[in-house]
Amino acid sequence: MDSAMRRARPGVFGRLGTWVDHHVYSFVASLGRIARKPWSTLLTVGVMAIALALPLGLWLVLANVARFSGDVQQSREVSVFLQPRVTLPQAQALAQTLRGRGDIGNVELRTPAQGLAELRAGGLGDAIDAAGSNPLPSVLIVTPKGDETLLVASLQRLPEADLVQHDAVWRQRLDGWLRFGYRLALVLGVLLGLGALLVVGNTVRLDIQSRREEIEVLQHLGATDGFIRRPFLYLGAWYGLMAGAFAIGLLTLAAMALRGPLSDLATGYGSRFTLAGLDPAMAAAVVVAAAFLGWLGAGAVTGHFLRQTRPAPAGRESR
Amino acid sequence: MSVLRFDNVSKQYAGGHVALSDVSFEVQPGEMLFVTGHSGAGKSTLLKLIHLAERPSRGAVLFGERNLRKVHGSRVSMHRRQVGVVFQDHRLLTDRSVYDNVALPLILRGIRRGEIGKRVRSVLDKLGLAARERALPTQLSAGEQQRVGIARAIVAEPALLVADEPTGNLDPTLSAEIMALFASLPERGTSVMVASHDLGLVKRMKKRVLVLDHGQLADDISPEDLADA
Repeated sequence: MDSAMRRARPGVFGRLGTWVDHHVYSFVASLGRIARKPWSTLLTVGVMAIALALPLGLWLVLANVARFSGDVQQSREVSVFLQPRVTLPQAQALAQTLRGRGDIGNVELRTPAQGLAELRAGGLGDAIDAAGSNPLPSVLIVTPKGDETLLVASLQRLPEADLVQHDAVWRQRLDGWLRFGYRLALVLGVLLGLGALLVVGNTVRLDIQSRREEIEVLQHLGATDGFIRRPFLYLGAWYGLMAGAFAIGLLTLAAMALRGPLSDLATGYGSRFTLAGLDPAMAAAVVVAAAFLGWLGAGAVTGHFLRQTRPAPAGRESR
Repeated sequence: MSVLRFDNVSKQYAGGHVALSDVSFEVQPGEMLFVTGHSGAGKSTLLKLIHLAERPSRGAVLFGERNLRKVHGSRVSMHRRQVGVVFQDHRLLTDRSVYDNVALPLILRGIRRGEIGKRVRSVLDKLGLAARERALPTQLSAGEQQRVGIARAIVAEPALLVADEPTGNLDPTLSAEIMALFASLPERGTSVMVASHDLGLVKRMKKRVLVLDHGQLADDISPEDLADA
């Protein structure tokens, strides 16, 4: 039966060619559908892009805040003011000893003379001169490697230490806010990602509805589920891809608008902080993930439709 | 072996409507026959059971050696590729050209592009549509559209062609042309089954006729008996 067709059927490489042909067919068909409905496509892509841009924007802001807090590394540093009786060689020896400890990343010694020079530079030279001799102690600036709290307690027990200063509270609070922010970005990302998925799903559902007759004809002609599903999967992927690119475009525009004023603000505080956008690898990952999201939404809706249109098993009454 | 066999087939839709009741018949390779009966007699349901748009409630539909009750999943589409279907309303894809519409069954079968071109043009030529291959279906007359539908149904040389009221919207001259076309198909090994309520047309064709009445096979008239009638 159908022997003429069987004779014309290709071999393994031919079947691979057929598979490629079917994909090219679906690829072109999906692009045709987008081209035929430019406004509808723009709306879908716009809504998806905003849904993607919001959590992505929040994530970028947090990444910049984290980078900024990393720049103010001194907040992690512990200042150990040594007792006035500790001589410079003793301070140097102590610094050398501390550098050998596993919980310490670095130790910098600030001598009384250096401290005096800094104060003079800050315009307090006259007041220091009035005091006669240099009243400043040697100070060790310790950069922790591990747990800061334990290190501070340990440094406070040093016999040479007079005062150990470590303002860790604000840093802990900032870390807490950052953790909360990242989690918020994640939750928003999941929720709005789901929203984007539904937007694609609904658009593809409407497209399926408008092409119901065409799909029925294809089914009557013997189209497999894969053949029917494929153009819609491509369509979903296109929507996702365009929405991802659009979202990155929106964020880039936002970053461009904010970069100048923020840089001026940072300069006013003596910082060279600049706003960082998405790096190319991250941008590519966002576009690929968005395309996958679109593909997933389209796949779910098309699969549901195809399950509904299968003939009921024998013996079961159909409507 | 018969191309198609119905063994005591019944079909009851949800709501209790019995569309077919204990229908049995066979179709031989290269045979052309008509299914006739009043509106609602079960003609369309019978055709739907053949290309698996519906499944029987009871009995067996055998396509060659294959029991269609046991055809599921991707095999449904494989089965449908062996049955050409012509619809009364043509069901052409309006955004694709005549050529693209006719090429569809071959694309679905994974036939190579070069071969598709040859086969499509050959069929279009036979049906007098060669000059219209780039036209969209909406640019064609009703008769041309029906011929495109037939071209699409026969281009892949199916074992069986089923046509549901294929001349329902056509004038008598066009109807006769379409029927002559169907009558030529068995020569190429394709069995043809046409559902029609146009008794005059059916009688003129002098082929076997299955008469359905309220879902039951009321009569199975051979061409000879029809000639005598």
